[in-house]
Amino acid sequence: MPWDTDTAIGGNERRFPSTQLTLLEAVSQGMDRDALERVLALYWKPVYHFIRRRFGKGNEDAKDLAQGFFATAIERKFFERFDPNRASFRTYLRMAVEHFASNEHAASHRQKRSGEVVFEPVEEFASEDLSPEQVFEREWQRQLFGLAIDDLRILCKDTGREVHWLIFEAYDLTDDERPSYAELARRFGIAETTVTNYLAWVRRTLRSLVTERMRGVTAGERELREEMRRIWI
Amino acid sequence: MDLNDSVLDHLRAIGDAPDLEGTRYVLEQEIGRGGMGVVYAAHDRDLDRRVALKVLDVAFAGEARLIARLEHPAVVPIYESGVLSDGRSYYAMKLIAGERLDRYAAGTASQAERIRVIRRIAEVLAFAHSEGVIHRDLKPQNVMVGEFGEVYVMDWGVEAIRGTAAYRAPESQTDARSDIYSLGALMQAVLPAPGSPALQAIAAKCMRTVPAERYPSATAFLADIDRFEAGERVEAWSEPLWHRVQRFASRNSILLWLLAAYAAVKFVIFFLRAF
Repeated sequence: MPWDTDTAIGGNERRFPSTQLTLLEAVSQGMDRDALERVLALYWKPVYHFIRRRFGKGNEDAKDLAQGFFATAIERKFFERFDPNRASFRTYLRMAVEHFASNEHAASHRQKRSGEVVFEPVEEFASEDLSPEQVFEREWQRQLFGLAIDDLRILCKDTGREVHWLIFEAYDLTDDERPSYAELARRFGIAETTVTNYLAWVRRTLRSLVTERMRGVTAGERELREEMRRIWI
Repeated sequence: MDLNDSVLDHLRAIGDAPDLEGTRYVLEQEIGRGGMGVVYAAHDRDLDRRVALKVLDVAFAGEARLIARLEHPAVVPIYESGVLSDGRSYYAMKLIAGERLDRYAAGTASQAERIRVIRRIAEVLAFAHSEGVIHRDLKPQNVMVGEFGEVYVMDWGVEAIRGTAAYRAPESQTDARSDIYSLGALMQAVLPAPGSPALQAIAAKCMRTVPAERYPSATAFLADIDRFEAGERVEAWSEPLWHRVQRFASRNSILLWLLAAYAAVKFVIFFLRAF
């Protein structure tokens, strides 16, 4: 069962990351479509969840606001104004979303008073104990790993490593009790040491793919390193 | 792909653990997180000894080369460096038995012992600066005090390090005087409050906002520490007269006792003659 069935917008980019340009390099080259797609693919869902949590919006309203935010950001060249000396791109973006959605929220409140807009109740999130900022960071991590795993699956398929993928899926992506290496070896008809080697390859490849995904949305090595510290436990 | 929380946490954990396949090391446990990566205790199979293994967050070999340039008793020696199969750089170094300076400072060490530690840190800074190396992230968490009292300064900086807020100099362009600022902040953290006004003045001089008003070098800082320990006037503090007299008295106590004894004898002789 997928964790998030409310929205698939921004999360279905399936292409393998084609470039290692940092965000600043992309900006200096005019922020082309690839660079924008990388940002959207990673940040659409965190922005959507942040808006839901921060402003108590329902699914459709949050989608509209997230859509509106990115449309405005692209139109007003918001990404080009990012200054890595002041904050990480993640923080810069989250604060901009908050500012944008606050204005929209205030405007829609005025409309609500005249009876035009219906809000979802804020109590929808009452049982969750994460702050909006924590929700944003958590969804950012979730989306980053989701994208890297999509990249990994394609890579495994393209390089004939289907068994690597299946073992990884059975062992590292399961939410149930993990099978033993011996059980996996029996299931796929390989030696137990091969299971170990396959998993080691997949894990280090996943790490590289996560790093590459992050490289495209950070300003350079320093920000990349700081962000990586927030990703790994 | 949508991931639930437990799978996400599992992936975050397995991605962080270094894959030491192809190296001579066997992972033991994480022992700290520094400015550039994570430090693990590991076992060197070839030499059958324990080492500290620093795995850097992203591919970056500069830190090991930089530290290797610093051959000094207060710099943890590097044994070997390399690249892991996942692309991360690592280096192996001596595993220090001791405690971090922040824990040491919370202990019962005397003022004299704490000054000795500060002095060792300043000495290695003076050496590093003479080699053109700036630390950039000097703080108690980056200093170890070994079980025999030896002092090690770790996490030698590279250009990318921004430093830790409480110990970071305010200027954006860092140089040796930025390390002097951090040294002052570190001195304040290590010395017991309220402490000697002269020592407070030395730390305050290190931490002046304008770099040109700080000590020009770690050597100049050490000279003021020397003066303090010799009971002389420190450059950082224009002491009041009563304090100067007090310091003079404490430095020349034997002479003053002799003078007092001489005066007492003269006084007695005067009275004996008078009566």
